Amino acid sequence: MTPGQLLLFAMGGLANAAYLFIVAAGLSLVFGALRVINMAHGSLYMVAAFVTVVIANQVGAGLGFWAGLLVAVAVTGAIGGVVEVLVLRRVYGREHLVQLLGTYAVSLVVAGAVRIVFGANYRTVASPIPGHLNLGGYSYASYSLFMIAAAIVIAAGVWAMLYRTNLGRNIRAAVADPDLLNATGVNVTRLYTTVFVIGAGLAGLGGSIVAPSQAIGSSIDTDVLVLAFAISVIGGLGSIIGSAVGSLIVGMVISFGLVIPATNPFALAFVFIIMTAVLTVRPRGLFGLPEN
Amino acid sequence: MLKVEGLNVRYGKSHVVFDFTVEVGDGELLAVLGRNGAGKTTTIRGIVGLLAGASGKVSVGGRDMSAWPAHRRTREGLAYVPSGARCFQNLTVDENLEIAAHANGADHSWTKKRIWELFPKLEPLKNNLAGGLSGGERQMLAVGRALMGNPRVMLLDEPTEGLAPVLVQSIGTLLGTLKSTGVSILLAEQNHQMALRVADRAAFIEKGRVVEVLPAARARDSEVLHRILGV
Repeated sequence: MTPGQLLLFAMGGLANAAYLFIVAAGLSLVFGALRVINMAHGSLYMVAAFVTVVIANQVGAGLGFWAGLLVAVAVTGAIGGVVEVLVLRRVYGREHLVQLLGTYAVSLVVAGAVRIVFGANYRTVASPIPGHLNLGGYSYASYSLFMIAAAIVIAAGVWAMLYRTNLGRNIRAAVADPDLLNATGVNVTRLYTTVFVIGAGLAGLGGSIVAPSQAIGSSIDTDVLVLAFAISVIGGLGSIIGSAVGSLIVGMVISFGLVIPATNPFALAFVFIIMTAVLTVRPRGLFGLPEN
Repeated sequence: MLKVEGLNVRYGKSHVVFDFTVEVGDGELLAVLGRNGAGKTTTIRGIVGLLAGASGKVSVGGRDMSAWPAHRRTREGLAYVPSGARCFQNLTVDENLEIAAHANGADHSWTKKRIWELFPKLEPLKNNLAGGLSGGERQMLAVGRALMGNPRVMLLDEPTEGLAPVLVQSIGTLLGTLKSTGVSILLAEQNHQMALRVADRAAFIEKGRVVEVLPAARARDSEVLHRILGV
């Protein structure tokens, strides 16, 4: 493998890691604060991807994409708020199986609604940032570089929200002791809704950003959910740094796994081999905290 | 200031606190004494509003809080210092105090500066994580966090638990200081000697029921302590 090829595949891995991080960060944030594994996270991602594609194709690529992104994030945030109030408030504090079944039921409802509203056909949208850049003799889609930059900005934004705002301080306190936070004067019920809306918004952001880079169909919810879970298990559920590192590992493994002929058929399997290894050696993931 | 009428707490089918009724006046300290498992912690958590199975009337300054969730009771002046010196261990000392200050509105009579004056040992540790503090330091932080809410009533659950004798004495002195500022205090304690040294009255509970309420001077009587607490 030449250095140019190495760079090419690494950039592919980074682009994979970028959208996966945005999705996994939302999943991880919700688990960290609410201790709920959201099986409907991939559904929100799918809804956002469809909303973005439909609006972008109606309005026209370019401006249409950005309008679609804003609407998609607002829609998924709103769905998240409704799901939190109607479903999650009934399963907080109960065993994970009940929470899994509750959010799985939501994912089935959303998947059905998506098929009814958007149909079962795959859809595509033109890239809002067309063109290519040449690096080391290889051509890179400008949009892939945008995805990487967007993920870095979102990672910095999530970090700043958690460590530089009152909301983030309250979220971190809720992770440690929600009862005490309640008795300190913070409305934890409202905080949980806010966190879930942010998590849903991140799923939506991931779905919107990925839309111009791949065909959007009604199975992308499970595809991304499986990878986001793998990332969260590897990095540690509840850890944003873990999500970033997990996304990098998974993104790179998929990228290099697919291009090397000998490993091509097993590229995804390597992700789960790593996940199994992490679960065996360090069950809470590379950066995960032990559950209270 | 604090009035609790007919507080009952149930965990499912188990009835654990029965008709707890007390009044604590401005600047008064009522000690709630009882053996381990008598229901002291459950009673306090019921007053704070943290238990779904609690019923009865809780009011502060004549304002009925019974239907309010815990965070609203805290914002209206009811502060809770839980047992075990509980703090947000993944937050710094500074953040632990800020969280209460920010949550509790416009009254800023208690500031971090006043907390540092009250607990000088805490200020150099303000950027340390609360989880790395000693038991005594965490207890100071727990009290400081409650004060940052500018409370009119403080509910303390075994604040001397696990502390060295010298720190127990400091907590007693601190409670005396807080009383003098007009704060009403309800103190659940196993350490009856410390509690009765600073209390004005004592309510003794057994198996979730108040069996006797006495002035502290009378409650210090060894015959009373032997009869009710078995010490």
